[in-house]
Amino acid sequence: MTVRAGMRLLLLVLLLAGIARAQMWRVDTGTSVTLAAGALLLCGLFAGKVAIGLGLPRLTGYLLVGVAVGPYALGFIPGAGVKGLELVKGLALSLIALVAGTELHLGLLRRVGTKVAVLCAVVCGVTFVVSVGAMFALKGWLPFLATMTVPQALAVSALVASVVVSFSPTVTIAVVQETHARGTFTEFLMALVIIGDLFVMVAFALAVGVARASFGGGLDLAGLVGGVGWELFGSVLVGALLAVGMLVYMRQVQKELPLFLVAISFASAEAGTRLHLSPLLMMLAAGALIANLDEREGARIHHAIQRAGLPVFALFFAAAGAGLKLDALVTVGPIALLMVALRTVAVWFACRRFAPPGDERLSRYLWMGLISQAGVSFGLAALISRTFPDFGPQVEVLIVAMITLNQLVGPILTRRALERSGEIRSDEAPGPA
Amino acid sequence: MQALLVFLAIAALSLLASSRTVLDPGRFPAVAHLAASGLLFLACGTVMGPGSLGVLSWGDLTALRPVLALGLGVAGVIIGLNLEPRLLRLLPREVYAAALAHAGTAFLWVALPLAGPLLFTMGLPPGAALGAAVLLGAAASLSSGHFAVLGYRSGRMERRSGLSVALLTMLDDLVGLGVLVLALSFGAAGHPLEGLGLVALALLLGMACGGLLAFLMHGLKDQGELMAVLLGGVALVSGAAAYLRVSALLAGVACGATLVLVGGRAVEQAARGLGRFERPAYLLLIFLVGAHVQARDLMAWVLLPGYLGLRFVGKVLGGALAQRIAGGTLALPPRLGYALIAQGGLALCLVVEYLVLVPGPLSQRVFDVVVAGALINELLGSRAFRYVLAPAPEAPVKGSPT
Repeated sequence: MTVRAGMRLLLLVLLLAGIARAQMWRVDTGTSVTLAAGALLLCGLFAGKVAIGLGLPRLTGYLLVGVAVGPYALGFIPGAGVKGLELVKGLALSLIALVAGTELHLGLLRRVGTKVAVLCAVVCGVTFVVSVGAMFALKGWLPFLATMTVPQALAVSALVASVVVSFSPTVTIAVVQETHARGTFTEFLMALVIIGDLFVMVAFALAVGVARASFGGGLDLAGLVGGVGWELFGSVLVGALLAVGMLVYMRQVQKELPLFLVAISFASAEAGTRLHLSPLLMMLAAGALIANLDEREGARIHHAIQRAGLPVFALFFAAAGAGLKLDALVTVGPIALLMVALRTVAVWFACRRFAPPGDERLSRYLWMGLISQAGVSFGLAALISRTFPDFGPQVEVLIVAMITLNQLVGPILTRRALERSGEIRSDEAPGPA
Repeated sequence: MQALLVFLAIAALSLLASSRTVLDPGRFPAVAHLAASGLLFLACGTVMGPGSLGVLSWGDLTALRPVLALGLGVAGVIIGLNLEPRLLRLLPREVYAAALAHAGTAFLWVALPLAGPLLFTMGLPPGAALGAAVLLGAAASLSSGHFAVLGYRSGRMERRSGLSVALLTMLDDLVGLGVLVLALSFGAAGHPLEGLGLVALALLLGMACGGLLAFLMHGLKDQGELMAVLLGGVALVSGAAAYLRVSALLAGVACGATLVLVGGRAVEQAARGLGRFERPAYLLLIFLVGAHVQARDLMAWVLLPGYLGLRFVGKVLGGALAQRIAGGTLALPPRLGYALIAQGGLALCLVVEYLVLVPGPLSQRVFDVVVAGALINELLGSRAFRYVLAPAPEAPVKGSPT
């Protein structure tokens, strides 16, 4: 079966090679966004099958094939096409967040909320301290830090560390969906990565303010608090409004739910970005509210998104793979590798040492689910580049290189964590290709 | 942002177009007809586009080109999937001759007289003016059979007659596509041979994608997976055509036809699933088509009455000719030409494809005329169809009092 899927994937890649070849004969070329969407979707679907056959998560297949046919490796899909898929990425992120929200029942939050929040704070704290220390120690080897004063170097190290501590709710949720994992370990992991995102949001905003102040820009505390407050509470509020709208639609119209959900996720992703809200938090809040107000409708959303999930995930992660800048690995590879190793050790140590007692699986396997990094981290890295044009682009290269490494091994480790926890319900045997 | 704007506009229009008040022909007959046929979206696109109110800018439309390409690709693949070679082979020659007669008459009736005004008013080379006239003729030759289908479904028309009209209108699509091939060959590149090469590239691309898709879908059991592969394939063929700047419509048709020819049961299943996306994709496409209209082009407004009048006469005469040719084989109604006045989306697809691939004032003018013509023909078509349903006046019997 894997061989058949591999054959199909090979033929697809050959067709893409032919299209890229034909493009060289044309003087002018048109838009490549639709080509990128179609090619990455098809390649992702069959690469996912190959990955399953090899015992890897589908997600790794999606990512690797995206890397392979994307602009930084074989170059069959132009960079402009991949960039044009940002809209699709936003849509996928919203859908993933919505389905994750439907898992956040009040009972679950009451049961593990405090434990998760404490462990999350500890893991983020330890990782943050280790990352700041490592960055500062590497000051002499990092050109953008070398010329800075000690307070400036510390502020920039804290800025980088605030991104380094982030997890990837998207990868975690996608792997959980793929493996149909259910149980207390899975719930704990999902809640932790989601809460981790909230911590990162706050930490990043503070770090930006401090870094700006260290370069003489002044510390606008009111603006800082207002910005973070708007992003957090505004997102939850808009999410609640969306939830009411969705419930009304589901009860009154009762038709074409997958299409409606795709439309609303698309609209919220676009509008959220424009209004400086977090689409992830908005949809998470919407999903959680629906699931807690009307469990039946929450289950309907879950089912509807699962039906539309396969192409959305394949396209989202293949596009993410195609966007991974491999050239960044070449320039700052060794330092990025070192930082990734230190981050992994910090996460492992924090989980091993501080995981709540009572469930040994948490101290043994939870760290594996916290290695992935994805969309949010990329967004923050790009934001650093825009906010601090003097050194930001170099920081972005370093962070992107780290995310690339984490992205490639993260899904494999997450799947392994779920496997070892014994909560994967139906082990995905290689399906018919 | 522009994508969000279009999405919101489409969503609002979808709600409006499904409102019972709007769809009630007793209240606003013209709006009800436009809403039912989807051309309301075309009109709204025109109003919102940069050529009218300017809610959408030209930059927005350029950014939305991928969606336009996808819409054309979907339309092409659906046309291709409906081309069933086995059924087409079974049709008698008279049917083809009748389709060619009604489409050809309208084509010649429009293209020849309008070539002159286009040649003398635009100051362009004769070849280019002739190409534009040919495209106007091609758009004029196309008809939609939806009134006939609605007529027999509602029992106002005999089923056999309705299906016969629908069959003729389906076959004229081939004429329209054939003329698009010609127009692109002459207009899409500096030399006709190069243009022909680009058309061949589009068809080859479509066939390659169709063949590969059939292979990819072979053996897939899961319906969701089948649909995902088909949708990915449609995006791939449309996107590759748009990237290489060849016709997404023709590539889509070639892809769909190849799929039907070599695909198995899996393709049939997925094609049925694709039908769910046909209407939304069509509405989105014609909204974007409408947004490309330059409503302030006076020359287009001057050409429009000529185009409409000539097409009307051409269709009436062509219908009479078609009936003479295939009247014994098909159950064609009397006054067939009046059933062929309404125009479907393919005419719009043809001209927007031409506008994208051969941009310029000439293609823009042709586009404006055809889009405005499609709207008016839709309104005229419903009135004209009543003549088809009305009993034909009996021939006076010799010796009877007059």
